[in-house]
Amino acid sequence: MSTHLHQHSSFKQYFLNLFHAIYTTVKGMYITFSYVWGVKVVSIEYPEVREVLPARARMRLFNDAENCISCTQCAMACPVDCIYIASEKMPEGAEIKKTTSGSPIRLLLTQFTIDTALCCYCGLCTTVCPTECLTHSHDYEFAQYTIDAMKYDYLAPDVRAWRDRIVKA
Amino acid sequence: MQSRWDIGEPEKPTINEETEQLKSELLTLNMGPQHPATHGVLRIEIKTDSEIVAHAIPHLGYLHRCMEKHCENLDYRGVIPFFDRLDYLASMSQEHTYVMAVEKMLGTEVPRRAELIRIIVLEFQRIASHLMAFGTYALDLGAFSPFLYAFQDREEILRFFEELSGARLLYNYIWVGGVWNDLTDDQVEKMKSFLDRFEENTKTYHELVSMNQIFIQRTANVGVMSLQDCFDYGATGPVLRGAGYKWDLRKQAPYSLYSEFDFDVQVGVGEIGQVGDCWNRFIVRMREVGESIKILRQAFDKLEPGSIMGKVPKIIKLPKGEIYMKTECPRGELGVHLVSEDGGKTPYRLKVKSPCFTHTSMLPRVAPGQMIADFVATVGSIDIVLGEVDR
Ligand code: SF4
Ligand code: SF4
Repeated sequence: MSTHLHQHSSFKQYFLNLFHAIYTTVKGMYITFSYVWGVKVVSIEYPEVREVLPARARMRLFNDAENCISCTQCAMACPVDCIYIASEKMPEGAEIKKTTSGSPIRLLLTQFTIDTALCCYCGLCTTVCPTECLTHSHDYEFAQYTIDAMKYDYLAPDVRAWRDRIVKA
Repeated sequence: MQSRWDIGEPEKPTINEETEQLKSELLTLNMGPQHPATHGVLRIEIKTDSEIVAHAIPHLGYLHRCMEKHCENLDYRGVIPFFDRLDYLASMSQEHTYVMAVEKMLGTEVPRRAELIRIIVLEFQRIASHLMAFGTYALDLGAFSPFLYAFQDREEILRFFEELSGARLLYNYIWVGGVWNDLTDDQVEKMKSFLDRFEENTKTYHELVSMNQIFIQRTANVGVMSLQDCFDYGATGPVLRGAGYKWDLRKQAPYSLYSEFDFDVQVGVGEIGQVGDCWNRFIVRMREVGESIKILRQAFDKLEPGSIMGKVPKIIKLPKGEIYMKTECPRGELGVHLVSEDGGKTPYRLKVKSPCFTHTSMLPRVAPGQMIADFVATVGSIDIVLGEVDR
């Protein structure tokens, strides 16, 4: 008897479920269809339209080597050790240049390389730089075919040429 | 050799005379590591008896990056980016736990404004993380459009974070002593107007998913994790609250400024299904989003001008000692055990207790006897992030 009752109730339940399923689905469909007309497009058609990044966006690093005083603070702050700096004493009699902020450059920078493939864009190196020459640019399209090409030598003329293009104002 | 994950042999189907000729055996099925329903690189080895799961064994380690060992060689500031990469969907919460541990050891006083900004980003992070859980869960169960709606809103939150910290997911924003950048009034206005819009949207989400009969049929009474199981395994967060236990560290052991805020702890009450099932876990998350909105509104009112960085030495050196710090992250309680040497610049040991790891270990408990489709629903409902499980 009880089994019969159970069957009966589940039979009713079945149709009730069916009704609820159709009703709530129609409700959901109504919400979805309201997007067909009159709602503005949210996605950006990327290569043609580009987003303007916020001022603080952290993209590819750029070192303005003229202002670097070879203090190696950035290399020490880097958690993944991907900044390679080498410097030597200024040759005798060479004039001591100054950075834009006025501190004298006492060492001759001979190498400043960042392995961008290792960099995690944490921004710790830019915060410790005393002359603010190491900054994050807004350049985010730099895919390469080989991993070696991700090593940027900031003293090389071609990388230096980015300066006009990507240094933040 | 018995693996640590084995919980005994699966029960053999009973064989009587009729079926003796028809020999049957369990089918081994690998779910993952490249399976969209496992939310990352989790491999679950399932032994199935036709459509029924007899046994499920999660295999971990596909995303292991040796993070804890790495941290032993990093200065205390350099560890923060590594914490971002634990739970990459809730980086702010992860950073905050670690930073609080270091601050407690240092005895740093964090300015009030910095604490409030932290709470704002933490709660926004909770919303973003729960939106992700909501979207992917609906996706797991075959509904595509909720995922897109969730991403629209999440995108706006990520945009706030990008304006604030410079990154969309891996922020390195909460620093020892305070936060990196200040919040401008302009941004606060934008956030407020977003909250108004978003509150309306959450109602749509409830209509679209939570109260949908098909969704209810797929999730109610499925994957029940009883309260006793939760205690036995040490579950926390929405899993524990979904099982009906009122436990939220923001309320039970308030840290930061949470004691000043007025909000409720949402628990599953089983108005649909039963407590501890997938639907209740899901609804706890959705209601927590509402609580986060409440906290955010209060935080905006409390915000007043001030400094955002406390006094911290240039090179952080901690005294000898150890500390265990835990906070309520979107996925549960994250614990950080930090051991330091006297005057050391690097941690001696840094152990992370991850909530997702605990919840993953509950899968073999609930899986036996479920249909495969229900098992997918269960895995989705505990909302795991493998970055945190494997570390
Ligand atoms: S952004 Fe971070 S990882 Fe990259 S070079 Fe700077 S400190 Fe190193
Ligand atoms: S911290 Fe700045 S000035 Fe010092 S070495 Fe690095 S880039 Fe050059």
